Amino acid sequence: MAALSGVKILELAESVSGEYCGKLLADFGAEVIKIETPGVGSPTRRMGPFSRTAPSKRQPASVPGSTTSDARNEDVERSGLFAYLNTGKQSIELDLLQNKSILSRLLSQVDAVIDDHTLEWLSALGLDAVQQQCMHPGLVVCSISNFGLEPPQDRLHAEDLNVFHSSGWGFHTPTGGDPTLPPLNGAGRFLPSYEAGLEAALCISAALLAKRQTGEGQFIEISKQEVLASRVDYVLAQMMGGDMNVSQCRTALDLSGPAGIFPCEDGFVYIWLSAPAHWQGLRELLGDPAWMQAFPENWLEKACTPERVATCRRHLVQWLKTQGKEQAAERAQQLGVTLVAVNNAADLVDSPQYQFREFFVELEHPVLGNLKYPTVPYRMSETPAKPMSPAPLLGQCQAVEWQQPQTHPAQVEHND
Amino acid sequence: MTKRNRGGPLQGVRVVELTKVWAGPYTGKLLAFLGAEVIRVESEKSLDVTRVYGVSDINNAPGFKAVNPEKLSVQIDMKSAEGIQLLLDLVQKSDVLIENLRPGAVQRLGLDYTTVKAVKPDIVYTSMGMYGNEGPLSYQTGYAPCFAALGGVSALVGYENESPAGMNVRYADSTFGAAAALATVAALYHRNETGRGQFVDVSAVEAMSSMIGDALMSFTLNGEIATSTGNRHPDMAPHGVYPCLDNEWICVAVRDDKTWHTLAQQMTSAAGSVEVEMSRFTTLPQRKANEDALDHCLASWTQSQRADELVEKLQQLGIAATKSLNSIELISDVHLWAREFYREVHGPDGQSQSIVGPGWKMSRGATIENAAPSLGQHNDYIFGDVLGLSEAERRALDGRGVIR
Repeated sequence: MAALSGVKILELAESVSGEYCGKLLADFGAEVIKIETPGVGSPTRRMGPFSRTAPSKRQPASVPGSTTSDARNEDVERSGLFAYLNTGKQSIELDLLQNKSILSRLLSQVDAVIDDHTLEWLSALGLDAVQQQCMHPGLVVCSISNFGLEPPQDRLHAEDLNVFHSSGWGFHTPTGGDPTLPPLNGAGRFLPSYEAGLEAALCISAALLAKRQTGEGQFIEISKQEVLASRVDYVLAQMMGGDMNVSQCRTALDLSGPAGIFPCEDGFVYIWLSAPAHWQGLRELLGDPAWMQAFPENWLEKACTPERVATCRRHLVQWLKTQGKEQAAERAQQLGVTLVAVNNAADLVDSPQYQFREFFVELEHPVLGNLKYPTVPYRMSETPAKPMSPAPLLGQCQAVEWQQPQTHPAQVEHND
Repeated sequence: MTKRNRGGPLQGVRVVELTKVWAGPYTGKLLAFLGAEVIRVESEKSLDVTRVYGVSDINNAPGFKAVNPEKLSVQIDMKSAEGIQLLLDLVQKSDVLIENLRPGAVQRLGLDYTTVKAVKPDIVYTSMGMYGNEGPLSYQTGYAPCFAALGGVSALVGYENESPAGMNVRYADSTFGAAAALATVAALYHRNETGRGQFVDVSAVEAMSSMIGDALMSFTLNGEIATSTGNRHPDMAPHGVYPCLDNEWICVAVRDDKTWHTLAQQMTSAAGSVEVEMSRFTTLPQRKANEDALDHCLASWTQSQRADELVEKLQQLGIAATKSLNSIELISDVHLWAREFYREVHGPDGQSQSIVGPGWKMSRGATIENAAPSLGQHNDYIFGDVLGLSEAERRALDGRGVIR
């Protein structure tokens, strides 16, 4: 049993945010149909990482419902990004603007639509907020965009880097940033898109719940900038209330103290130090050397001078040169010291905790082969959420009712 | 049934929050913003650190107010048996319980899933922990930057060929909270369809990993371990943050060759022009191969210009260019005010306060007009209307310190 069993979603989205949203809902068991440009497919099919090992001329072996030629497909099926973002979905090749009657039939069969294009595009398809209300009152339509559907003139063109730096996170990354060096992008290529996709999935799920009770859909507009800025509410609201200083300072969001990332024997660790108990534990961990005895007991809270922070950091660096990250972390936890490994992808695949929770699952993709996929951060006792099948090949749609839109048995139950 | 008719998709859903600091309260805030009635259980004996730390008035605590708008507050002492019984009575009349207490705390309190399920069989019970509820490392605890470090996020942020620098120290709690909110709503959908509740076990570290899923795929696909590469992007060049006059920074991301040529033309023609060795930068592979030179060239051009003027000029040419907003610019952002992302709400004392709104607009959204509650602001409603306690019963409980 899956949480969103019986829900049907049409995905018009073609970038990471909308596709990630659709993936999250497919993981909950929703039936997600992805519309792709005929012969070309989603732009994310042409974004890396690309498989280096998948045989390039391999025929996608007897794929039910696939309507496209295999030769044309060999390159559009090699993207690890597309494979990740589109697990559990089905794919239909369709030029939407040329086939509005087919779109209209599809719309009559689904509960929700995910899009991440412009307002003009939504309007041309008859799916902007006004048309949703008039023409499709029972449909949930969710739009994801960088700055909302009506961005100001100086924010018409943006990538995730731009959004990240329009939200407060960018200017203040990293913590303790050197003002002479450029502020940094967030982790990876698409963090703002994943955040927005998560928010969109939350809103769609809530709107679907309401739709089941009232029969009414709604129009949802997700702004990536606002999603990211709302993630720093704890600080931002205090700044607005005058309870925290605003400035042109790169450290305006920071907390003081010696916390940070340090190199160790086999990688890096993160150490958090803020309370006397942390300091006590750390003294024990390091064998209470003379320099620590010279510090006041409560220095972290009451006497955290830049000199002490520098001294502390210098000694930590020395000590960590001989420490492995896992061993240090394990002893630290026993002593109440917040010292953790800075993990990389290989560490996560090897993590006993991730293995216990089955965070990575294996799926067999006809072109990419058998691969481990990262999944979702929640374990649900009744309705486990995880990818049910690999990403579709271009045009691979197995559901018969989608192929023959004139028959729609599921509709009767859903629009009552 | 619930106190106020605020509309929104989760209207009629009642949530009990046993949470602390930021992540758990953020989950509750999202549900409240979607229309749920979210009740924060508090007690004089164990006030949340955000109500008290460095705060002179617990009912005017800046950190608490930031993450708890549109919630109700009830006082129940969870360290007394009577308090626990009262809480179970409240849960029995609720749909969702959210907790982000320390590992093992709900078991010690007698509020674990099995116990709660016995009084409310269809409860959606959302448990939030650094590593989740079970497993070999589930006993471990940490703060937000630990989630980011353990989940693989920190390793990807930093300057090229240097130690990782990590995200800003504030990152992680709210993202973790949002993931928990999503799973909670999906579980509620299932409950409404089938009548069955469930246990939802959310891991902060995994929430971080889910923000870098493609980087993890890169490893499982090709064995590549991603590291920090400054502001660079494998599919775009230039892609960076460049200095402007007055210590300001401009972010420029160029998606294709055509856009690059438009940019290069500006760099070489207009006032303050620089020399660009075009033959080295014609295609993306060339620009990636000569990226140090490319970035240097761009920085030498931007550093003599005003960021806002340059943004305007480049945007008109179709180039993704924006300022990196500092905290002053962020809270005075005209666009965010115009969209009512920042908005005024009413505090318990009637005063208006500014809060940060949700990341969405909904045509049938919930009204958001109330600030965070004062301690026990909704005791009357919860004890009277919801639990049906008489005045005498309340006085007796109060006398024994159960509802302070």
